[in-house]
Order: sequence, then structure tokens, then C-alpha cells
Amino acid sequence: MSASAIFVLDLKGKVLICRNYKGDVDMAEIDHFMSLLMQHEEEGLICPVMAHGNVHFMWIKHSNLYLVATTNKNSNASLVYSFLYKLVEVFTEYFKELEEESIQDNFVVVYELLDELMDFGFPQTTDSKILQEYITQEGAKLEVAKTKVPTTVTNAVSWRSEGIKYKKNEVFIDVIESINSLDVTVNANGSVMSSDIVGSIKLKTMLSGMPELRLGLNDRVLFALTGRDKGKTVVMEDVKFHQCVRLSRFESDRTISFIPPDGESELMSYRINTHVKPLIWIESVIEKFSHSRVEIMVKAKGQFKKQSVANNVEVRVPVPSDADSPKFKTSTGHAKYVPEKNLVVWTIKSFPGGKEFLMRAHFGLPSVENDEAEGKPPITVKFEIPYFTVSGIQVRYMKIIEKSGYQALPWVRYITQSGDYQLRTNV
Amino acid sequence: MPYIGSEDTVRDLRRVLSNPNVQSDQLRYRNTILKVIRAMSQGVDVSGLFSEMVKACATVDIVQKKLVYVFLCSYATLNPELSLLVINTLRKDCQDPNPMVRSLALRNMTNLRLPSLVEYVEQPLTAGLRDRAACVRRVAVLGWAKLHNLQTNSEIDAAVVNELYSLLRDPDPVVMVNCLRALEEILREEGGVAINKPITHHLLNRLKECDIWGQCEVLRILQRYRPQSEDELFNILSLLDVSLISPHPPVMAATLSLFLSLCSGLPAVGLAALERVRGPLLAACGNTSREMQFTALCHIQLLLRSLPGLMGEHYKRFFCGYAEPAYIKQRKIEVLVELVNDDNVAILLDELRGYCTDVNISTAHAAISAIGRIGRSYSDKCLEILTELLGLKQEHITSAVVQTMRDLVWVCPQCSRTVCSAVEGCEAEIQDSQGRHALLWLLGVYGEQVSSVPYTLEVFIDGVRSEASVGVKMELLTATVRLFLCRPAETQDMLGRLLHYCIEEETNMCVSDQALLYYRLLHCGIEETRKVLQCRRSDPSLGVLIGRPAEPINQWSYIFNTLEPLRPGAIETDDALTASVSAPLSLSLSPALSPEEFEDLWLQQQCPTIFRCSPQSLQAAMQLVNIQTLAFTPPHTLPWRVYLYTNTQNKHSADTCHGTLILGELLVKKNTAEKGIKVTLKQQPRDEKALKGFLSVLTTVLHALSSE
Repeated sequence: MSASAIFVLDLKGKVLICRNYKGDVDMAEIDHFMSLLMQHEEEGLICPVMAHGNVHFMWIKHSNLYLVATTNKNSNASLVYSFLYKLVEVFTEYFKELEEESIQDNFVVVYELLDELMDFGFPQTTDSKILQEYITQEGAKLEVAKTKVPTTVTNAVSWRSEGIKYKKNEVFIDVIESINSLDVTVNANGSVMSSDIVGSIKLKTMLSGMPELRLGLNDRVLFALTGRDKGKTVVMEDVKFHQCVRLSRFESDRTISFIPPDGESELMSYRINTHVKPLIWIESVIEKFSHSRVEIMVKAKGQFKKQSVANNVEVRVPVPSDADSPKFKTSTGHAKYVPEKNLVVWTIKSFPGGKEFLMRAHFGLPSVENDEAEGKPPITVKFEIPYFTVSGIQVRYMKIIEKSGYQALPWVRYITQSGDYQLRTNV
Repeated sequence: MPYIGSEDTVRDLRRVLSNPNVQSDQLRYRNTILKVIRAMSQGVDVSGLFSEMVKACATVDIVQKKLVYVFLCSYATLNPELSLLVINTLRKDCQDPNPMVRSLALRNMTNLRLPSLVEYVEQPLTAGLRDRAACVRRVAVLGWAKLHNLQTNSEIDAAVVNELYSLLRDPDPVVMVNCLRALEEILREEGGVAINKPITHHLLNRLKECDIWGQCEVLRILQRYRPQSEDELFNILSLLDVSLISPHPPVMAATLSLFLSLCSGLPAVGLAALERVRGPLLAACGNTSREMQFTALCHIQLLLRSLPGLMGEHYKRFFCGYAEPAYIKQRKIEVLVELVNDDNVAILLDELRGYCTDVNISTAHAAISAIGRIGRSYSDKCLEILTELLGLKQEHITSAVVQTMRDLVWVCPQCSRTVCSAVEGCEAEIQDSQGRHALLWLLGVYGEQVSSVPYTLEVFIDGVRSEASVGVKMELLTATVRLFLCRPAETQDMLGRLLHYCIEEETNMCVSDQALLYYRLLHCGIEETRKVLQCRRSDPSLGVLIGRPAEPINQWSYIFNTLEPLRPGAIETDDALTASVSAPLSLSLSPALSPEEFEDLWLQQQCPTIFRCSPQSLQAAMQLVNIQTLAFTPPHTLPWRVYLYTNTQNKHSADTCHGTLILGELLVKKNTAEKGIKVTLKQQPRDEKALKGFLSVLTTVLHALSSE
């Protein structure tokens, strides 16, 4: 993989913190990073890999930081990016919010983490749960160092420490599905172009000891295996599990069995590639009369079960940047003009299934035409539907077995989110 | 720290650090050291505090130790002498009962990067290899690699190498993987760690224990293994099948890479592996991380070189979202061009048309030239879109469209009529030199077909004084002379003015020389000029075959899963395409292949029967024996000719992939009443044997075809 050094830069390109792992690339090379980036930006050709001489910068941006890996070898790009994202993940877990300020406030922890995460350009311990045992610093907390041997060094279960205790044993299961960003595109003549659902099952485990959990889903492959193929079942693609899940058992009999990590974790994620009809269907008519006005008519229809209700629905309709004097009429909710983003935002607090609502907007246009080329941004829709999954996935059971034999309660919650749900306009 | 200069900061810190009261109070001491580190990361030069920090190193407080080590590793190279003082403390720490302290000391000892300290480090490192705590062994193993890196020319103890080999069987998977990494580094001169059958099988069996980083490392190193039998090969492949469809893109890519190198002798298996990774690859394209998406797209472009049909039915996955960054959009557009087929061309073009008005100009240009590329096979639909785009009257779009049309006409001369009517009157919108260059070329070559050309050129000629681009001036000269040849009455006057200006006033040598050349040429007479300017460089009836041949996998497998495919233009499909497209020219003129290295061999072969078969069957037959037909004249025209090429590969020098290149022309002249084919061959570099071999293959194919 060979990353020679890792840098964390602020937006101006100043190095906040860096770690030289290999010593085969001059640390001063990073000074070229920002100028290269600016140059690419000007040409409109930003690229996640940039070269200066034989040094390559691979970078990602996170909030107001650049995380950069330098290398002078033909290293494995996907692995380097994975590592940079892992860095973000670990840092976020430590500081809640990863940004310039949190790096500056916690630079000691960052140094420690960088030291443990990678050695000589090779990733070492990257699991944040285990890392916690190596890291002595915790923000401002100063105590005399613990001299406890990290238990996980010799532990068979590397993601869970022994001796965890809770008064009340509970586990919360969240099934979250979102219609993946950019994937629902409805083209101008009204047909759905592609769509897929990305789902994840998240756990918040508050269980004592070393519990053994088994999760049952209405997974179609399983029902086909056991010959009980009735009722609603779901075919999952691209299933990704947390490392705690015993993959061999999943492959042989589709049982999801595992010893969970303590606290919050993502147990699995999946993708379902089906043609779902858009849950909130938008029809729009945008008429632009040059030099005088724009008339917008948007119709939204809830295409989901009548019992369900979508919350916090937001329909964002793009308007020309030189539009003025907005006038709105809505059958429900309220519409607002956001001039800095050139949008009309129509919010509906609760949107029952099967209902249809209408919004009309009227804008004036100046008589002098704006010559700047404008793109055709799509209409985006945001919403949340609780107690409902698009795919119909269900948790059938969750069995919790621990040798002390305590009773534990599993709680399940379902939610469907919009992801980034786009509809192209015909203007 | 505002208002305090770095010197003051350092002085203050030094005073506090050497204060015995502070030193005795652990918390205050630690806080002061914290301040030093903070100053260091803010860019203050605190190297002057080195000796104070060395003292602070001797402490039982592990937090303080870590801080001091961060400092020492940053400044050790500036103070090699003083660093010697730290070694003692570090070596003592290596004996500490706490494995965390031991590993910390060992890691930092090797991170000091001082060749002078090597002799002190070796002993603790050797001990570290046998430590009972895995975290110490992990550090010690990599420590040897760091030592070797420090003095690459020194011999490393064979005993250490043996010890590292034996640690490949360590129960801790990270130690095992680190051993691989260290050995790879230490034994680089010998070609890296030795991969034999027992090691391979051991590594494969333990693959599941490793984290994704470890798995990728193991998979990469195993690429050097050559299975001894086909059974073994297939056992390995079926073992790895799970990793091949791994949800982690790096693992999937590493496995695919290993598959391809293991199956380099079995192309069919390699292709099957590519089919198998289609799902995971498409999933990687939908990754939440843009960088990972980008990497996946770049690698898909590689795969498509060998298996163009791989993603055909999934083309919708490569449609761009509005908010996607330009680098992803442009790669997606490149992929989309490869996926065009009869069924999806309408939808694809519709989608691409949407991208042509993208706010990002380079994305818009990429989309326009993509339409041009598709136009080579579906010219009518594409020209319709391009003409429509001209109607937008947007400066940059018009310029890109004209350039695209020029490229399209060059390949498909039959489109010239549509193009000519479309470009008429768009000169007002084109401001940039490349666009005007393209327009002038079109006007010059098709001057007869566009009625308004003389007026357009006149505007250009009147403005030649203020023209900045040399390229445009030269093109203007050529275009005017060309126009003069077909419409002398309208052009004579302005040509005279242009030549006069270029010869008398132009300061640029190239332009005035070219003007002189044309001037003298015109003196030689109109026929001579026509011969020079209007001779066809290739047979107009010669159609070029669209679409590149599928490349063998090993053409690119060695750069798969590295940084290489991500580089801008690394796999510029455009380059490859233009190379093959201009091939009919390079066959006769060969500008791309240095002529002095060319050996021409004229050979005549007699064919028993009249050669009469469809180009498709000829092409298919040729492809069976790995000869690529590039272009041919339509059937039943005379003389009928075919251009083809092939590479002969030298089996003995497998590392250099350059065999010899053979270019050939088959010519059938019926009117000479000779029943035969004339074969012209050009070869580079010269290799008699290969040529004879090629000829015999060719004659066999031709015989087989003609006997059908």
C-alpha cells in the first residue's frame, strides 16, 4: 500500500498535523499540494490524484480539512483511499466532529492515533474499539497512566473487551433504508431511469458479558433454502457485514450470528436493486417567459401506503438566479424562497400516503438577461417515513444468549429516508 | 500564541522545562511538554529544546513518554549526537513489563532514522521478534524493514531473515502480514520474499484471519506464485472465489489482480473472472466515497479494453448525477462511449446531450466529443444532436462542436455534406483559437460545398493583423490556397492580400515560410499546387473499421489495482482510437513509426483462385489468427484492398512485450487480368523468421478462405 506520509491540512493548505512514516518523500513536497489543487480547480479538472514530479498526492476532503497521503511508488490507490476514510472514521469516533478545531484541540490524540494506525506506511490497528485501549490520552482528561495490558492484544474477540456490565440488558436495532443518492432519476419525459435502495441495520448494544446474538430476517434466499417461501421476502445484494458476523455460517445457512461490539455499530449494510416507484412522485411544469416571469407548478403525490405518513417533506425547486418578487400558493405546507441557493423550498410537516398536494410559484424576471450559463439543477426531495421500509425487510427475531443467562430486550425500529432523491426538470 | 515570537516561546519553555520544581510535579511537567508539542505542530521551531526533552524522556508516565517520543522522532535527524542519549532510556523501556511500553520504545527507536544508532537498535529488535506480546512482535518485524531502509547497501543478517520467515507462522495475523511486508522490503534486490508452495498454502489458509489491509497485502504478494499444476491452480482459484466477490473494493480488486496473474496462461479463465467481478465492481461505482467511485471507474475502463461487452446492459449505472464532481462525470462519459450498442444508442445519446450543457466547461466538451466518437458508428443521430447544439449559440459549445465535427469528418467523409451545412455561419460565435482552427480546416477542405466560404475567409483575412494564434494563421493560409484552387475567381484577390501580409509583415517564421512556400508553389502552376494540396492521403472509398479489437488481459493486468489507471490520460481511450484510426495513413506515410527503423519488404504471393469474399468473413478469419484488419474498401470496388497489422511475440523474451510489428496491405487488381493478390508488408524491427512465419499464416488463411 505504501503511503509515505499522511498530512492533515486546513482549507488554506496549512499543515495542521503530519506524520512521516517512511521518510522516502521530502516532507516539504506538501507545499506544492495547494498550488496544484488551485491550478486544477481553475481548469475545472479537480482530481483525487495529483502528481508533482514523482510524488503523488492522494487526497480526500472532509468538512474543512484535506487529508492527504503522499507516495512515490505506484501504490494501490483504492487501499490508500480506504485508509484515508478509515482515518476520518476513527477521528470522528474520537472527536464526534472532525474539523479543523477538533484537530487543533486534540493534536496529542491525533499523534497517538496516527502512530497506532500505521507503521512504516502499512496500516496496523484500525479498529476504533481496539484502538481505544492503546490510546492513553482522552481530550483534556489527565490521569496517571494506566499500566494495564490491553486485553485485546491476546483476545480472541478483538472487537469486544471482556468484563462489560450493564444493569439493564437491552439491544436496539435500527433498520434504516434510503433511496440512494442520485440513483432515482426521473428523466424529463417522466420515466424512472434507475433506482436502488441502500439499507443498513444499526445496533446499539447494551449487554453484559460476551453475549451470542442471532438475528433473523425475511431474506428470500434463506426461505428458499428452508423451503418456506411464503409471505413477503426480500432479495439482498451486496451484503456487507461487520467483522463480528460469522460469515461461514451466513454462507452455509444464512444465519446472522455474532458477538456484538459494545455500544453503537453498523451490523450490516445491503443494497437492493429493484425498480421502486418513487415514494413521492413529483410532476412539475416550469414555464419561463424571458424578460418577464417564471411560472412554476409542482404537484407532489405520496405513492406509499395510506397508513404511513412521511415527515418533514422538503421539495426543493430550482429557480433562475436573477428571479425576483416571489409569490406562492400552496394547498398544504408552506413555500419559502431561498435566494442564496436559488431555490424554492416547499416544506410539508406531515404527508399522508395516497394524498396529492400542489404548489404554485410566480417569479418576476428582469428585462436585462443574465448571460451567465446556468446548469439545469434537478428538483430534489427530502423526507422520512417512520415504521416503514421500502424493501419490506423485517426483523423476524433476535435471540440473545449469554452464559449467565440474563433476560435481554431487543427493540426494533424501521425508517425510510429519501437519500438524495432527484428529478430532472425540463426547463 | 500571538504576540510572542518563536524565540521567546522557546526561551520560556526551556526555562520551565529545566525548573526542578516543575520536573518534580508530574502534571505540570507533562503540561509543559504538551505546550512544546503544541508549539511544534503550529510550526514553531522548537528543536533547541532537544536536550531538555531528552531528559524528560526518562519517566514512568507513559503519556509523557509518548509526547516526548513524538518530539524526538521529529527532530532526531537534526541532532544525531544528542539522540545517542535517548537510546539508553529506550533500551531500558524495551525491558519494561508492560508490552505497550516495550512496543512504543521499539517503534520509536526505529523511527529516529539515524544510521549511527543502528548498532544499538539491533539487539532489542532481535529480542522483540521473540517477545510474547504480539504487539511488540508486530513492531519488531517492521523495525527490521526500517533498519534496512536506513542503510540499503548493508547486508542483513541471514539469521534475521530466517527468523522473519519463521514468523510467517506466527499466531497473530498482523505479525504474519508485517513479516511479508518486511521481507519484501529487505529482500527487494533478490526480488522480494520467496513464495513457494508451502508458504502460499499457509498464507491462503490464513487469509480469512487478516483484516482487509492484510488480505490485500497477502493477495498482492501471492501474485508472484506460479502453481505447479493445473489442479493446484484451480484449487487456489476456488479458494479465492469468496474474496473475488468481497464487498470491500480493495480486497475484490486485489483478488482479481491475483486471478489475472495466476491465469495469465489461461485467458478464458481470466475473462470468466472479469464476468464474476461485474457485480462488485458496479457496487464499487456506487460507493459513497467519490474517490472510491473514481478508482472503480478508472479500473472499469481497463477491464473494458479486454471485454468491451462487460457492462453493456448496465449502462444506466454510468449515468451522471447533477452534483457529481467533474472528474467522475468525465470518466463516466468515457465509459458510456464504450458501452454504446444498437439497443441503447438512442437513450445514451439522449443522456449525453443533457451533459453537453453542463456548467463545467470541460465536462461539456467531454460530452460533445463523446457524441462525436459515437458518431463514427451512428453518424446520423449524432450529427443531428451536434447541429442542434450549434443552435444554442453558446461560445464554448460551438467551438467544441466544430472541433468534434472536424474529427468526425476526418474519419467518416460521408458526413461532410451535413457538417458543411451545419457549420455555415457559426464563425461569429467561435472565439478560441482551437475552434477557429477547426473551422478553417473544414472551410478549406470543403470550400466547394459551402457557398459563403469566401466571405467568411475574407473576414478572417481582414483581421489577420490582430490574430494572435500561429496555428490559426497557418490554417488560414492553407484554407485560402485550397479555396483558391476550387474557386479562383472569388479568392484570388484576398489570397494575394494574405500572402503579401504573411510574407512582408508577419514576424513569425513558420507563418511567413509557409506563405513563401505556397507562393512559390503557385508559381509552379496550378496543377502542381493541386497535386500537393489536394492529393488524397488515403483512398476515399476506404472505410475504417470502427471499434478496437479486444486487447488481451495481460496488456494491462500489471497496472491493475495500482495508481497508474487513475492518472489523467493514463488510459486515454482517445489516443488508442486515433492511433488506429489514422492507421491507414501511417501505413503509407508512417509518421508515428520512425521510418529509418522500417524495413520494407515487397513480396508477391500467388493465390490460386480469385479472391472474393466479404470483408466480415475475412476479418473474422484474420482475427482467429490474431491479425487485425483495420480498413478495407467496400466490396466489388477495384482495386480492392485491405490493410491489416499484427504483432509477433517473441517467446524467449517475455519480459519485453515488444515483438515485431507487421503492417500489411492486400491488393486485388482484377483489371490486370492477373489472378492474384499483391501483398505488401512492412515490418519493424526487421525479423526474417517472424516475417516468413507471418506469411505462411497469412497464405493459409487466404487459401482457406478462397477454397470456401
